Amino acid sequence: MLQYILRRLMLLPLVIIGVTLLIFGMMQMLSPYQLLGLYVKSPEELRNQNLDALVEKYRLNDPIGTKYLNWVTNLAKGDLGYSESANMPVLNALLARFPATLELALFAVVPVVLGGIFLGSVSAVFHNRPLDSIIRIFAVVGWSLPDFVFGLFILMIFYGVLGWFPPGRLGTAAEMIVLSDGWRAFTGMHTIDALLNRNWTVFWDAIRHLIGPVMTLTYLWWAYILRITRSSMLDVMNKDYVRTALAKGVPETTVTRKHVLRNAMIPVTTVAGIMVIGLLGGVVIVETVFNYKGLGLLAATAAQQLDYPMVLGTTMFYAFLLVVVNLLVDLAYAFIDPRVRLE
Amino acid sequence: MKPNMKWWALAAIVVVLALVVVVPSLKKDTEPTKTAVTPVEQPAPAKEVTPVQQSPAKGATDKETFVYVSIGGGPDSLDGAYSYDTSSGEIIYQLYDNLIQYDGESLDKFLPMLASEVPTLENGLLSEDGMTYKFPIRKGVKFHNGATLTPEDVEYTFERLMLSDRAGGPCWMFIEPLLGTMTIEEYAMQKAGVDSFDKVDAATLKAVAQDVMDSITVEGDYVIFHLAKPYPPFLGVLAKGSSWGAIMNKEWMIANGAWDGSPDTWVKWHDIAKEKMVAYDKANGTGPYKLKTWDQNNIQVVLESFEDYWQGPAKIKTAYVKYIDEYNTRKLMLEKGEADAIYVDPQYLSQVAQIPGVVTETKNEVANRVALFNENIPVEGNPDVGSGKLDGNGIPSNFFSDIHVRRAFAYSMDYEALIDEVLAGLGSRIVGPIPSAVQFVNPDNPVYNFDLKKAEEEFKKAFNGELWEKGFKMTISYNSGNDVRKTSAEIIEANIESLNPKFQIDVRPVEWATYLDNMTAGKTTMFFMGWVADYADAHNFVQPYMHSTGAFAGYMGQGSVDRAKARYDALVDEGINNVDPEVRKEAYYELQRLAYEDVQAIWLYEALKPFAHRDWVKGFEYNPICPANYDFYKLWKE
Repeated sequence: MLQYILRRLMLLPLVIIGVTLLIFGMMQMLSPYQLLGLYVKSPEELRNQNLDALVEKYRLNDPIGTKYLNWVTNLAKGDLGYSESANMPVLNALLARFPATLELALFAVVPVVLGGIFLGSVSAVFHNRPLDSIIRIFAVVGWSLPDFVFGLFILMIFYGVLGWFPPGRLGTAAEMIVLSDGWRAFTGMHTIDALLNRNWTVFWDAIRHLIGPVMTLTYLWWAYILRITRSSMLDVMNKDYVRTALAKGVPETTVTRKHVLRNAMIPVTTVAGIMVIGLLGGVVIVETVFNYKGLGLLAATAAQQLDYPMVLGTTMFYAFLLVVVNLLVDLAYAFIDPRVRLE
Repeated sequence: MKPNMKWWALAAIVVVLALVVVVPSLKKDTEPTKTAVTPVEQPAPAKEVTPVQQSPAKGATDKETFVYVSIGGGPDSLDGAYSYDTSSGEIIYQLYDNLIQYDGESLDKFLPMLASEVPTLENGLLSEDGMTYKFPIRKGVKFHNGATLTPEDVEYTFERLMLSDRAGGPCWMFIEPLLGTMTIEEYAMQKAGVDSFDKVDAATLKAVAQDVMDSITVEGDYVIFHLAKPYPPFLGVLAKGSSWGAIMNKEWMIANGAWDGSPDTWVKWHDIAKEKMVAYDKANGTGPYKLKTWDQNNIQVVLESFEDYWQGPAKIKTAYVKYIDEYNTRKLMLEKGEADAIYVDPQYLSQVAQIPGVVTETKNEVANRVALFNENIPVEGNPDVGSGKLDGNGIPSNFFSDIHVRRAFAYSMDYEALIDEVLAGLGSRIVGPIPSAVQFVNPDNPVYNFDLKKAEEEFKKAFNGELWEKGFKMTISYNSGNDVRKTSAEIIEANIESLNPKFQIDVRPVEWATYLDNMTAGKTTMFFMGWVADYADAHNFVQPYMHSTGAFAGYMGQGSVDRAKARYDALVDEGINNVDPEVRKEAYYELQRLAYEDVQAIWLYEALKPFAHRDWVKGFEYNPICPANYDFYKLWKE
């Protein structure tokens, strides 16, 4: 197991180099002037009229190899340029906004995965019966609904009519507490910080603001997990060992739980891992609808305002995230399926 | 855990999660009051709510908190010597006090503020020749850090401002009356007899600072301004509502790294980047509110009542200014009482007015809105100009220096649709740079009307017909959240694209501070702007729009600057340097005619300013000159 983990970790730098090459390749489609924002040390430099001098200063007309090395060195230093849409260095903006999105994704992933697996296995057990059809129609409707439609719908019902789950991350009262001197921000995730600060007002307020976007994400993503669980369970249910177990007289529920569900979990794990990335990146519209100030809203604003450094910064950030989560998924694999680590 | 229990455990978790999702929502009604740990938590009792809504005031903030939701990304700078926009002025207004203030909604009556008397001829504080203003400084006024206001603070504030004179900033309003030139650099160049500021020698630089320091002096409890020429709007320049008139604390400023007060060193602090200026993101004023935080991550400014304020502490203890571009979110927040007031574009005003418990008002404004052309657009790295050439895939740098292009654009604007639909009838057309409420406006000045035939003719003449043949592609930007500007750009886009399939215009939003930066850096193509009066005089409108050093005209490309020097500057000077109304009128009428003839801008409209707030907001008044939509100090909630 340890060897397997080490082998996977050793691959990590290679993957990251590949990622940087890919992004650097895309950057070559922009003119050196458009890339200046990635290099300048302060915003006032960008206001400089003499762009040629800046291009010269940051050696943007150098041979491509040198340029790549320069850029990677900057990256390694955490220097991702200055964002005009966020009014601060790209890295600061990413770090400030990431906890919000992570919090949302974490809160969404639990109901999505567990609910999806539950619905999927019910669907498989009752396959081709009315319950199966109902669940599948329910999930497919969610999958097909555009997120801005469903998000607005949720916002309208639960905020507009009922007044329960407001948009944003915190209400004014809770925000005042968070901005006060006594508050210690440990993670930037309000729920966790609230627990650490033992402040229930903030905790409930943060939860209240999370429910709307989480509900939206959950319903939209259920079908994803449900379908994989259902088909892979049906697949396993037709396996010889399942038939053997049933023939031996093992109770059907035990077979479903022990033989089927467990074996059916492998593809689900892969998809769930990728789904986390999907959630982290796919919250752009949900964040916009709920005015939830996370990475998605940041990236969307940057793209709309042609803020190249920020767009490239978020791309880079997501790429790294994808690599890391993929690694975690691979490790989880080995944990679930012994055959993987024996290879 | 036994294996056969896993299945049930899983199901149990799902059920629990489902409950977690549903239950807090059900419990919520009782929860906040039960767990109220802090006094701020109590929701305001909603007396005036109508029974139609279940509980419209549930999310409402308490009586001591005020939430105003605006648009854009927040202020540009909180330093009064730098900022020259309403979004920044709105915050500076709450943080600092000025020497004098307007009397309520009046535009020409003043009341004392940090000065204990307003200089007039009668009280002898204004000299007969109109060249000397004496301000007795109020005693016992405290700054936010506890320091006491002295006449030296006032002197330092304005000397620093004049010497820092950032390009395109507000400082000309002091340099012009006190030194007689428009910029400090121009003054230094004249004094040294050279043609570039870099060539001015050290001795002259010192002499310049000495002149500045001589123009504002302290005598006992008085601060005295020695003007170079009579300047009728001078009191308006100083009055509260002018962010450039905000009085700062000398000792605190120097301790934080601002100009040290010596005539030898000022160049180090002259026209520096906004972020490098001391009061860019911190404040130590004498105003009713302290800056708690300018929170760039959550895009909001939080202000806290200053308990030692010399006029007594404010009733609103905490004030939020949030910036949310999405109109629907702003509206919902107002509806739920989470916002006490919101920014609302005129086209939405009737919608907002229907929300129970919401009051809408419109107020006069001394301002106008225009679309300006950049006549020398930098093409390198500019995402707005396509290829940067006249090849059908972009526009060349000098696109708008062709008068036919400017005229074609002016003919392509559907002014009636803009006013009737976008402004919901709350506006009217303007005839040039001077708004209708200001003296010397020429109501009969010619204007361009919506006429696509003429637009086509003009486009065919532009660039000797080459433009019509090849077509063009460009982007017009607007400041994010401003839906009036967005729609204005889209009207032009639709009309121009209908003329020729080779014409292509895109529209994109840009965050407010960046929008201003792009303007002063001359990076935009065509841009929508407005000018809110600094003081109610025709000079304050022709200067920015038409003088070669004006806040707009100076930044619309070399072509525009050259034209201004050749055709407008002399007239602008004539207008301000004469007291004879007939002479002034002649100069301003001629300027307005030229503004039409040269298509200096697309002169769009002036409009009533819409306001929308909850009916529990009391004490609301609006001075048309003030950048602050809400003067938090005067407000209270019932």
